[in-house]
Amino acid sequence: MGRIVLENVTKSFGDAQVIPPLDLTIEDGEFAVFVGPSGCGKSTLLRLIAGLEETTSGKIMIDGEDATQVPPSKRGLAMVFQSYALYPHMTVRKNIAFPLRMAKMDQAEIDKKVEGAAKILNLDDYLEQKPGQLSGGQRQRVAIGRAIVREPAAFLFDEPLSNLDAALRVGMRLEISELHNRLATTMIYVTHDQVEAMTMANKIVVLRAGHIEQVGSPLDLYRTPRNLFVAGFIGSPKMNFIEGAEAEKHGAKTIGIRPEHIAVSSDTGPWEGTVGVSEHLGSDTFFHIHNSGLAETITVRADGEVGFKHGDRVRLAPREDVIHRFGADGLRIE
Amino acid sequence: MSDRKLPRLLQTPAVILLLIWMLVPLSLTLYFSFIRYVLNNLRRPEWTTPSFSNWRGLGNYEFVLNSKDFLFAIQNSLLIVGSILFLTVILGVAIAVMINKAFPGRGIVRVLLISPFFVMPAVNAVLWINMILDPVLGLQGLAVGGINSVIASLQNAPLVGWFFSLWPQLEPISFRATQTSAYAVIIMVTWQWTPFAVLIFMTSLQSEDQQQKEAAVLDGAGTWSQFRFLTLPHLSRPIAIVVMIQAIFHLSLYAEIEIVSRGNGNKNLPYLIGEFANNNIGAASATGIFAVILANIVAIFLLRMIGKTLME
Repeated sequence: MGRIVLENVTKSFGDAQVIPPLDLTIEDGEFAVFVGPSGCGKSTLLRLIAGLEETTSGKIMIDGEDATQVPPSKRGLAMVFQSYALYPHMTVRKNIAFPLRMAKMDQAEIDKKVEGAAKILNLDDYLEQKPGQLSGGQRQRVAIGRAIVREPAAFLFDEPLSNLDAALRVGMRLEISELHNRLATTMIYVTHDQVEAMTMANKIVVLRAGHIEQVGSPLDLYRTPRNLFVAGFIGSPKMNFIEGAEAEKHGAKTIGIRPEHIAVSSDTGPWEGTVGVSEHLGSDTFFHIHNSGLAETITVRADGEVGFKHGDRVRLAPREDVIHRFGADGLRIE
Repeated sequence: MSDRKLPRLLQTPAVILLLIWMLVPLSLTLYFSFIRYVLNNLRRPEWTTPSFSNWRGLGNYEFVLNSKDFLFAIQNSLLIVGSILFLTVILGVAIAVMINKAFPGRGIVRVLLISPFFVMPAVNAVLWINMILDPVLGLQGLAVGGINSVIASLQNAPLVGWFFSLWPQLEPISFRATQTSAYAVIIMVTWQWTPFAVLIFMTSLQSEDQQQKEAAVLDGAGTWSQFRFLTLPHLSRPIAIVVMIQAIFHLSLYAEIEIVSRGNGNKNLPYLIGEFANNNIGAASATGIFAVILANIVAIFLLRMIGKTLME
């Protein structure tokens, strides 16, 4: 259980409206990711759902019941914070048990649940340690454990991985995804990292300045971005935008083509340019092409073994079927 | 020269200075505590100059131990220090938590709260004993007098008069009396040092992690549980610091005791030393050595209790 519906929700801090009227439905069991640049209101939106901020107007429904005025502890939601927010003077066991203890649960049952959560999260060996003795990834797991034992209607994650190093982040990403598969509970996940959004979500909500720019599955957003903002935000490296004569040829103000949809070679293709920086990732190589007359830089993804050097003249062949066309208003033209 | 010698050599002047700083007074005190040394004695003028020929052995210690005030002074020292610590910590935590929330005029309230700490101890004692605690002219006397006159006038009132005639006449408490002078000192020092505790706790509260509190709110912790399980443990280190510092300071209270009752019914070890030092330097020195021992015992206890919190 955990269907969350926002109806006309707004939030203002003083005179500044950070969330203009907003409607959103998150179905039970979904993994929804709020993604957007910093300051886009995604964390505020999550805190509104959690009840840590009061809504200025509008309704928040959890499982069909109006939860707008319900205090945070009664909403049945569990949150995992960016700073983990573990209680530093309590052992891992006590940290995980804290919500149950607050719910005045029987001690034997608390022990059972804590051990169960510890097993799921591989924390068995650390139960008697304090958070200060744990690594970042382990602390994050404890925070998740504290959320799991409550058996919430939905989990809220507020940029939970941004304090971890890159390798650990990939690992934790997988763990959270697996956890979602296993528990099948609604999860709402806030991040500014579009890679996290793409890899984890069933449903991505792209936000900008409090507005929802687009909602959809990762591949929907990748294939048919509704506007220039989403097109530029989703996908890595960023989509190339081309304006001017080339765009007009396609009947648009701006056309967008993803780096992976351009073939680079020494002789074939309608566009031409000079190789600037080339980034070798092993499996792939990203070329930054200058002097093409289309845009300042065109990014192109090629196979890892393609060996153009700085200053080489190359020809580019875009795949015509995946060129995205945008009008003067920034919206997609079908 | 090995790697370690040079740094040690460079430290030497500071260490030697510190040693002299501590050792000279301590050895002089020890020396005086083993000889007869008085400031004025007409029959035995040779005792008025310190000399080994006036050796008294442990006689001074015996004299101090047998004096009627010694045990009382130790008990009283502990009573005063213990009570002040207890009160300042509780009041300090309560006030710090109260003013930690944002409210209009918070800055002014904070400055006002901290100002007692800047009053000199002697001034503090004079103000309290004369203006507030005095049974006749002080606030206490005026308040008790006022209540009594109100009751007296109500006793003649119709209908309710019989009820008020059952009331006794309130007696103001004389805080200079033998039985109460220690409480006067405890009250005034608590007033003066609570701001110190508030100041330390307040800074610590500001460093409290807000996300932890939000997590606790979501976990279903109410205001009391948040205080009990988050704020209080967070404050354990500053509480330890406040207790340690205040214990050191309050073992050597003097001005307040002098001004409230001149030691009448209320002595601590420093005050006893002061009394002996009016003439009998030997006994004063012996008491001083006892004071050093007491301070060390208290310090060991405190470090045992608190050290663990500080080391974590």
